[in-house]
Amino acid sequence: METFLNILVSGILLGGIYSLVSIGLNLIFGVVRIVNFAQGEFVMIAMYATFFCFAKFGIGPYYAVFLVAPLLFVLGIVVQRLVLQPLQNEPMMQIFATFGLLILFENSVLAITRGEGYSLAGAYSNTVIELFGLRASFARVVVFFAASAIALGLMLFLSRTMAGKAIRAVIQDRQSARLMGINVERTYLLTFALGAALAGVAGALLAPIYTLSPYIGGNFILAAFAVVVLGGLGSVPGAYIGGLMVGLMESFAGYYVDPALKQAIWFIIFVVVLIVRPSGLMGQAGAEEVGLREQT
Amino acid sequence: MTKARLLTTAFAIMLLSGSAAMAQEPIRIGAINPYSGPVALYGDEVARGYQLAIDEANAKGGVIGRKIELLRGDAGNPQQGIAAVEKLVSDKTDIFVGTYISAVSNAASDAALRYSKIYWDTNALAADLTARGLPNFVRSGPYASSFADVSANAVKDLLGPAIGKPVKGLKVWIESEDSIYGTSIAKQQKELLEKEGVVVTGVGAHNFRATDLTDSVLRAKNAAPDIWINTGYVPDGNLLLRTMREQGFKPAAILLVGTGDTFETLDSLGAEYLEGITIVGYPRPDQTETYGPGAAAYLAAYKAKYQRDPIAPQGMTAYVGVQMLIEAIAAAGSVDMEKVRAAAAKLDKPPKSYATGFGLKFDAQFQNTRAFPTVVQWQSGKIVTVFPKEATQPNVKLVNLPRK
Repeated sequence: METFLNILVSGILLGGIYSLVSIGLNLIFGVVRIVNFAQGEFVMIAMYATFFCFAKFGIGPYYAVFLVAPLLFVLGIVVQRLVLQPLQNEPMMQIFATFGLLILFENSVLAITRGEGYSLAGAYSNTVIELFGLRASFARVVVFFAASAIALGLMLFLSRTMAGKAIRAVIQDRQSARLMGINVERTYLLTFALGAALAGVAGALLAPIYTLSPYIGGNFILAAFAVVVLGGLGSVPGAYIGGLMVGLMESFAGYYVDPALKQAIWFIIFVVVLIVRPSGLMGQAGAEEVGLREQT
Repeated sequence: MTKARLLTTAFAIMLLSGSAAMAQEPIRIGAINPYSGPVALYGDEVARGYQLAIDEANAKGGVIGRKIELLRGDAGNPQQGIAAVEKLVSDKTDIFVGTYISAVSNAASDAALRYSKIYWDTNALAADLTARGLPNFVRSGPYASSFADVSANAVKDLLGPAIGKPVKGLKVWIESEDSIYGTSIAKQQKELLEKEGVVVTGVGAHNFRATDLTDSVLRAKNAAPDIWINTGYVPDGNLLLRTMREQGFKPAAILLVGTGDTFETLDSLGAEYLEGITIVGYPRPDQTETYGPGAAAYLAAYKAKYQRDPIAPQGMTAYVGVQMLIEAIAAAGSVDMEKVRAAAAKLDKPPKSYATGFGLKFDAQFQNTRAFPTVVQWQSGKIVTVFPKEATQPNVKLVNLPRK
């Protein structure tokens, strides 16, 4: 029983990691309709920035997040303005451009670090919480609560503020949104930068958990794409719940079936969901087509 | 003298003077390694080892009357390996050495064969490189199978006694990353250990890019092994150890194979947690002079040239590999592929002849049968050689076994 509960807890905490990485990706995917291949590299850059803050200035990751997230917000603006916006009418080219950014970011970090594996040592990564025989690392618990808080905050932002409502309008139908006087381009810019900032938060909070490498973004992004499609395009609660589901599936499959097969198992479930509910579990029916149809 | 005869004589003189000039040409050794990209650090370190062996030979006047020169061919993947060989052949390379990455060695040695050049491998680990039977391929260093052998010996002769358990009935969990590298070593470890009467309580495989390894750790924890062995890379090795600490999984001994002996693991886990963890790795300069004659001199030469301690132990194995190559060239009196291989086949040196503790005797597939890794242990944040016994400094004792 204790093992079962430990697996459950580790699955939920892993789900928190996937949710945190997926929410930003989903926002960009759902609103700007760009498959941002470089999202994992945003997370990676944020991890290195957090490490840098810690190693150079002694700023812990839970403080550094307030520097790193704005930094990534600015990076998001730059990328959207200089790379993606000029390609706005060429969706295929945008996808290639984000792929190019992936390579650029990965190799730049590689050139600077020479591929040495950095780790954030100390209390941030060592602390373990023990409760009724269940054990979990403090850093993972923080990620889970942060993902939950961000999901909730973002839902409130999207439903209560004018900017949020504008984003939702663009998700639903960008032409009608434009007719209602919404500045679609500015909404794109805001959303992309927000998505990048969320990657910044994810990177800062994940830095104490992993050994950093220039390729680490790729470890999360495959799962994150699955989460986005599973949860539903553009749906914040979808990304949150989808993340938890993938985390739990991976954890249980890894323990009870085989760690080497866990990805295969949740990908089978992912394909089944795609066939049965192409819009994802919580996505708006047809949302996966509207944007693309409009772009072509 | 007819015009034709004059021309022929002139041509013959040119040829003769040409060959005289050739005698003064240095022997060019092309070193194929990743000098950029994610493992450039290790590629550089291997090349530093080559350079030290070459400097040493040149200080004695070179070999077969020629100085030796090292050329670098940057290759992080098989395609680049082939391109690097072709580029270096056009730069008049006589012999190739390598390689930090097995897949690169595979492609580059094949390319070198097209130009009938020796590919003298010092550091690639994959077993199938020698199994291919390429007529230009030689491997002077240890390979995957040697790592499996030494890890099984370490369980039997070092860790079992250290934790006070007889080998028969000793419980071991074998973990590895799930590509051919990890699983082939794990398979061999299982066979060797079971032959000794060890109970293998489980064999686990994980993806080295996994974001979470709690499942792998809990599986092993529930099997309650005395010794936990892992063969993998740095990121997954660090994540496994961190997860073990989180989950309170404390086997009496931990043995890592291949990685875990660098600052990357020290930074991630800290000296306190690592205390007592053992690693099967390339021989290090801290071993005794009776086991590795010349190890201290290597360390001194490295420090003098590069103004720092060696980054990784691969460099010393590379250094010894090129020493062996130079001996083979001297014995052959040539850099010709067939002559060098034929001379290499006759070389016969007992173990403990080189700085790494290696001997030299090639088998029919040109794998050096006297090259083995050693076992080191983390002690107060430093790496210390602890096995085999002859390699261990007299003042060195095992620490924290069984692990607290």
